Amino acid sequence: MNAPDNNQEPANAPWDPVFLESRREALVILLLWVAALLWAVPYCYLNGFPETFVAEEFSTVWGIPSWLFWGIAVPWLLADVFTLWFCFFYMKDGDLGEEAPVESQESV
Amino acid sequence: MSLPPIFNIPFLAEAGGVSPALFTFLGYTAAVFSLAVIANYLRKDGNFLSEYFLGNRGLGVWAFALTFAATSASGGSFTGFPSKIYSHGWILGLWIGSYIIFPICTMGFIGKRLNQVARRSGAITVPDVIRDRFRSAGFGLLAVALIVFFMSFNLIAQFKAGSLMLKTLLSGVGVFESGVTFLRDSIGGSVDPAYLLCLCGFGLAVIAYTTYGGFQAVVWTDVMQGIVMVLGVIIMLPLALYLVGKDAPEGVGSLEYATSRMVDMSPPRRGAAVFQPGGPEGNSAPLGEGSWIRIPGSDEGAEARLFKVIPKLALEERLRKRGEPWVAVLEITSPGDRSQVIENQGDRVRSDFILEDLELQGYAYGAEDGRKGVYVTGPGPSPSSDAGFLPLSLVISFFFMWAISGSGQPASMVRLMAFNNTVTLRRSIFTVAVYYSLIYFPLVIIFCCARVLMPGMDAESDRIMPAMAVFLTENVGAGWLAGLLIAAPFAAVMSTVDSFLLMISSGLVRDIYQRNINPEASELRLKRLSYLFTLLVGGAALLGAVNPPQFLQDIIVYTGSGLAACFLAPVVYAIYWPRSNVEGCMAGMLGGFISHLSMYVGGIFANGSFFRPYRLMDFDPIIVGLLVSFLAGYLVTLRTPPPPEDLVRKYFYKPEASTGA
Repeated sequence: MNAPDNNQEPANAPWDPVFLESRREALVILLLWVAALLWAVPYCYLNGFPETFVAEEFSTVWGIPSWLFWGIAVPWLLADVFTLWFCFFYMKDGDLGEEAPVESQESV
Repeated sequence: MSLPPIFNIPFLAEAGGVSPALFTFLGYTAAVFSLAVIANYLRKDGNFLSEYFLGNRGLGVWAFALTFAATSASGGSFTGFPSKIYSHGWILGLWIGSYIIFPICTMGFIGKRLNQVARRSGAITVPDVIRDRFRSAGFGLLAVALIVFFMSFNLIAQFKAGSLMLKTLLSGVGVFESGVTFLRDSIGGSVDPAYLLCLCGFGLAVIAYTTYGGFQAVVWTDVMQGIVMVLGVIIMLPLALYLVGKDAPEGVGSLEYATSRMVDMSPPRRGAAVFQPGGPEGNSAPLGEGSWIRIPGSDEGAEARLFKVIPKLALEERLRKRGEPWVAVLEITSPGDRSQVIENQGDRVRSDFILEDLELQGYAYGAEDGRKGVYVTGPGPSPSSDAGFLPLSLVISFFFMWAISGSGQPASMVRLMAFNNTVTLRRSIFTVAVYYSLIYFPLVIIFCCARVLMPGMDAESDRIMPAMAVFLTENVGAGWLAGLLIAAPFAAVMSTVDSFLLMISSGLVRDIYQRNINPEASELRLKRLSYLFTLLVGGAALLGAVNPPQFLQDIIVYTGSGLAACFLAPVVYAIYWPRSNVEGCMAGMLGGFISHLSMYVGGIFANGSFFRPYRLMDFDPIIVGLLVSFLAGYLVTLRTPPPPEDLVRKYFYKPEASTGA
């Protein structure tokens, strides 16, 4: 990722690594939210909102309506697997720094 | 999710579950107080405010994960949410769709970086972060004002929710009823004495342990409350599946059978009816609320009709105004449900009445003659909206509502400032993900089963959670378990209330007094003020809840979404965008506040009520608020001067680089 855009800063500014990593991780999370939205909402809407209900066409998986099973339940499981990967293999540890003494706070 | 209950029926007394309820409450309260005492005893030396309001940024995995989860899951998760599942069916699985990614969004999106920025500035509260990050006292005060404004209303609503739950829990208990009688004689009929007694009990308990123990007490009670909540669900799920599957044909699974029953369900009708005694002597016992009446079909071979007497409040105004001999009724319309009621109620279904007059109203969506599948498909039945319960625009709105607006809650942000290191954050996100998976989808399953097992609760669906707890435990011969299950929603409300209480008092002591009025205040003075303000804020909320506003659920939704519209964009810009400045972020905060508020004010003109907001293109006000907030913040930032260089260095550069600057 390129250095953040701040027109005051030199191109080789020593950005804090925790800031850069957090921003990259936030972007991944935002993409995950978009992906979840793009899967769950259209899938459920197209399969779970019939104009007229036909009992023979309605199906379930383990008792859960299949539109909800594939639209929400399975993605929920996948999201947990993604969270596992994200937390233990992608997200970086970083030094968050020591607590700044209260006395050092700037008076405004 | 924040949807509180309206309870007033002494079901525990009916079900004979008096002792477990009382013991649960007493044991639960004792445990909460013990934890507060331990927390106070273990409080470390050092900066009092940091310890009292933030726990010295020392939370480990379990404490952090469970306090975050319990605070986010307010009372609504165990009251309003089950009520909605019962009322609208499987569509609620989609209503909470963005919970699949809720933990990673709300904790991971800003958690690590917010914690770092808070450390660099030494911030204890959210307004603290904003004030220091932008070096602007005015911006900090604006943030405090918005937090105090929104959270005070929310606190009053949550106090009412907690008190109503306690009232349900204790109804029918001898000692409690004596207290109610005594209070009724003392204060007259201006306020419901049972509610007042519960408000005092609930309010004083929460205020006491929060004031005494501060953040650590809130965290440790949250941990216990979080465990109680998940235990409640884990116990209820197999019981519900077992009972619903008892009548299933061989080879058909329990849930499959429940869903097949739901396919045939049609929404009930509500209305007013006149019944005349039809007993042998014409002197049948009077009908009370909750009575079931069976009326034979008018033609030969026609199915009998089944009615339940319900509270008049459940009717629309026109029908509600009808006096004697009219009673409010709910008519069960599905044959399967009628059989289930007769199986559940047995001899208690009355047949000694004649139906003399009747006026019924069907659902606005889902009640068409012969229509099937309305409880197993979208948009779900709705009594009031002809677009159904969850049309597409609201599906999208709720996807924003939970995951995105959840990231913008100041009460969650404070917790994100409190963990001790990034390892804790990583492990906690995953822990909360598993925790929420164990709670929310199972709740959908449990209360879909409730729809099959306990038909006829539509008019009082807010008490479906405790009613289901009693039903399940009584039917498997373990009535003592009911108390434990009912403690789950109580725990959920308590864990939200205590956090909000501390948010408001920290805003007053830290953000207004210490940082603006008396920066040189001594440790002892700050300590006394913290106790005093927590006590005063709690006391004021308690007084406010004596005559609480009517629109309880709506207030909670308004304040939750309003806080997100105000805080998410400024905080995201503050921590991720070095170019962001005070003008831009203030514009974002005010833009979010005003646009969100204007949708509600628009509701007064468009829909006749502040709490029925105007929906631009059918979307919820939260979407308008967030869009305006992000857009205003971005555009104003670009059109105003960049922030001071040393401020950017302090918060965005490596520490050694910033000190060298």
